[in-house]
Amino acid sequence: MAVDDPGRSYSHPLFDTLERFPGLDLATTTADKLLNWGARNSLWIFPMATSCCGIEFMASAASRVDFDRMGSFTRATPRQADVMVVAGTITVKMAPRVKRLWDQMPEPKWCVAMGSCAISGDFYRDIYSVIPGIDTVIPVDVYVPGCPPNPEALMAGLLVLQEKIALKTAGLKTVPAGRPETAKMISPRIKRVGHPDRMPEIDAAQCAQAMSLDLTEPPDLLAAFTAAQAAAKAAREAAEAAAADAAAADEKGGEA
Amino acid sequence: MAVKANIDSGRWGDPYLDLSTYTADADLMELNMGPQHPSTHGVFRVVLWLDGETIVKAVPHPGYLHRGVEKLCEKLTYVQITPIVDKNDYVAPMLNEQAVNMAVEQLMGIEVPRRARWLRTLLAELQRVASHLLWLGTFGIDLGGALGGGTSLFMYCFRERELIMDLFEGLTGSRFHYNTHTVGGNRHDVPAGWAEQVKQVLTFIERHIDEYVAVLDHPIFEQRTMNVGVIDAELALGLGLTGPVLRASGVDHDLRRDAPYHAYDEIDFKVPIAHGGDCYARYEVRVAEMRESIRMARDLIDGLPEGPLVGARPIKTPVQVKIKSGQAYVALETPRGELGTYVIAGGDNRNASPYRFKIRPPSLHSVSALPWVLPGHQVSDVVAILGSLDPIMGEVDR
Repeated sequence: MAVDDPGRSYSHPLFDTLERFPGLDLATTTADKLLNWGARNSLWIFPMATSCCGIEFMASAASRVDFDRMGSFTRATPRQADVMVVAGTITVKMAPRVKRLWDQMPEPKWCVAMGSCAISGDFYRDIYSVIPGIDTVIPVDVYVPGCPPNPEALMAGLLVLQEKIALKTAGLKTVPAGRPETAKMISPRIKRVGHPDRMPEIDAAQCAQAMSLDLTEPPDLLAAFTAAQAAAKAAREAAEAAAADAAAADEKGGEA
Repeated sequence: MAVKANIDSGRWGDPYLDLSTYTADADLMELNMGPQHPSTHGVFRVVLWLDGETIVKAVPHPGYLHRGVEKLCEKLTYVQITPIVDKNDYVAPMLNEQAVNMAVEQLMGIEVPRRARWLRTLLAELQRVASHLLWLGTFGIDLGGALGGGTSLFMYCFRERELIMDLFEGLTGSRFHYNTHTVGGNRHDVPAGWAEQVKQVLTFIERHIDEYVAVLDHPIFEQRTMNVGVIDAELALGLGLTGPVLRASGVDHDLRRDAPYHAYDEIDFKVPIAHGGDCYARYEVRVAEMRESIRMARDLIDGLPEGPLVGARPIKTPVQVKIKSGQAYVALETPRGELGTYVIAGGDNRNASPYRFKIRPPSLHSVSALPWVLPGHQVSDVVAILGSLDPIMGEVDR
């Protein structure tokens, strides 16, 4: 039965309707093919553009490359989009917002990591404020390497995504999206994510810190700072008073 | 105090308005704009307090793209810094590279050969045209319906911008982050036929700028921009605004002419200014700058002198640049204003990296004008004002 098929990634109301009519089960496979054909040829994109890659994303949407030709269309709200293109560096401050926007997108949805910052953090990966790759926050389907990738490369990435969706519809096994290996590259001082030398607990802690940020009630840093200052001042004064007492006691002892 | 008098008279908005004592005519509403918003040009958040539909207070929250660039540069060698700062102002990477390399050259006392200086000037002017084209296209999207569906102008501007990207790709091999400047000169020499291509592209763009002006000569565009977001000269100077925003306020200040670097003292050019201080004046200044830059680029490609491109012995490895001590401040006129780079030499990495690396971004100062300018406007004007200031978040947050 198509509805209980665990391999299918989502459910849609058409199947539930068709299921009520006996003898129409055969039609559901055809409907599934039809709907997936439509889905893969009209991938509406939500650009999660933060930095340089956003400019190349705009160039991809503009007149020369123009991914409108493939039915891909830029939408400014996650609620109308199928694909999230993460273009640019994602910081610790931005990651919870990206997660929230991803959660707002309706199923089925896909994610394209565009550019080396979104893939691995690139040379910002050991900076305190940068997330080492967006796949530590949300699942990624296609990686488009480059700094930034040319518009043609992003186009190729979208075609790969279409192919991937088509294979999934046909019931074929898709090649799992792996992190692109950079050949002949000097090994960075801090290893890439997933490397055993990378100390995964640090990555986990950084991401946990990012995800645990409370968006509604930001921490009152000023109050904490004032309290810490007051405590330090009190401690200093106590120490000074103790030193003064000790000095006075010494003087008394000397006089005696 | 002059500031208070200007705020009380309603000339400037009040960034420090106490909302607990404010009595609203209608309901007081807090509206969050960003950090993901198509017209904030990146990740930028503004919290607006509205009295009905009028803004009474605006608080900008930058920092969603803070990448610790200054700290990162202090760990790298001088030659490695160049490709990093490309990503700061990612709409005009050429100017960032030039600022860093000029600071290092000043510290080392290297004189750049004349051909490299002219080539740098040419690249800077081409980059200025490309940056202003991108600004004009996205400004068209921001104003939306006034311009025939919004994206028409964007498509036209990107058609011309792609041509400049092609020129840079032909010269440096990269569309975007070039890494073409090095300490003492330029890395890539002009390939055969490039000069002719530059001239063709310049002619093409110059012809089409007239088209944009014709498209934007429209009453709706004028209503959306005229007398919107007025920054007068006093406020602009007080906040440290530079570049087209300052020149649109009637202050005749341009580092290319007032503190010439590269080859700007050898060529003739005019500095366009406007007196309105509003969004329309900023648009006028940027379009006039595009025309002027095209004229300058034509002169520069015609008069490109012969000679070597690198002055000192060529830098082969990153650790060859070593500076024991000293400090340098270099300021450039980017498409957004004064980009300052302050370097204190003498880092612990065998004198091959700076001790302190500070960037003075023009966009940060532009964004700081928002709490002064936005009060008194409607919500729809926020998009026009923010777009006309042309902030780049990579530069604001670093």
